[in-house]
Amino acid sequence: MNWREAFIRQAKSEHALLRRLDRPDVEYSHRLHYIQMVTEKLAKGFRANPSDPNPPPTTHHALVRLLQTLKGRPEVRRQLGYSDAAVFRAFIDSLLDLADQVEQLVPGAANTTQPNAEYPWRDPKTGEVFAPIDYAFPLFDPRNPRMIKFERLLDALVNIAT
Amino acid sequence: MAREQVERQAKLLALDNRRAEPGIIKMYWFPDDEEVRLVGLLPSVPRTDNGSVQPYHFLANPAASLPAPSGIALIRPDEFGKLELPAGWGSWDDAVPLEEGE
Repeated sequence: MNWREAFIRQAKSEHALLRRLDRPDVEYSHRLHYIQMVTEKLAKGFRANPSDPNPPPTTHHALVRLLQTLKGRPEVRRQLGYSDAAVFRAFIDSLLDLADQVEQLVPGAANTTQPNAEYPWRDPKTGEVFAPIDYAFPLFDPRNPRMIKFERLLDALVNIAT
Repeated sequence: MAREQVERQAKLLALDNRRAEPGIIKMYWFPDDEEVRLVGLLPSVPRTDNGSVQPYHFLANPAASLPAPSGIALIRPDEFGKLELPAGWGSWDDAVPLEEGE
């Protein structure tokens, strides 16, 4: 197995787990954590050259860059059900800032003063310490149409990733 | 695979990228006999953070008229010629501009 296959296999497995977390008795932070992890593995999978024995480099904005690159891939566009490049572009563009915010959920990027889906943090304004399971994550409200679109895109990308 | 076949796919993908993202101001092809290697200049892409061009890779898809695997990177225009290229891509002097309409 090469690095690309390994990252994509891991993304697909984590995505399957993500869907099993879509239950009212599971705190939303766990879903969000898996969303972030799946996007990270997918971006690394596409970044990995199948013929390269080395792992793909770690970089910032990997998901945003991937989505910007996908706009110019006719086969991906068709696989995701878009015949019109302009419509596909508008769809991707409408989600770029949300994708960037999902990438910022990595604890290392968020540090201990910003909300993230995995580790507690302290609100610098109020001094209050939060556990992710108790936080609503309003930027990523699962009922928000943009979040619904983002999750559908994620589902589709996981399905077509090879 | 013949170089001409790879070049044909490079031009096809460059055109598709321009259509999908009108913000791309230039597309460059790094010739190779097996893989399509493209770098697009797009001002709105995040700045590269580690000094190297990092393409995304796509497998060959003959059913979609894409017989060669491809690596495509989008960088900012002012990063052209400054970033380190992936191993095997040659130098920036090897970059062939693919003009609109080619």
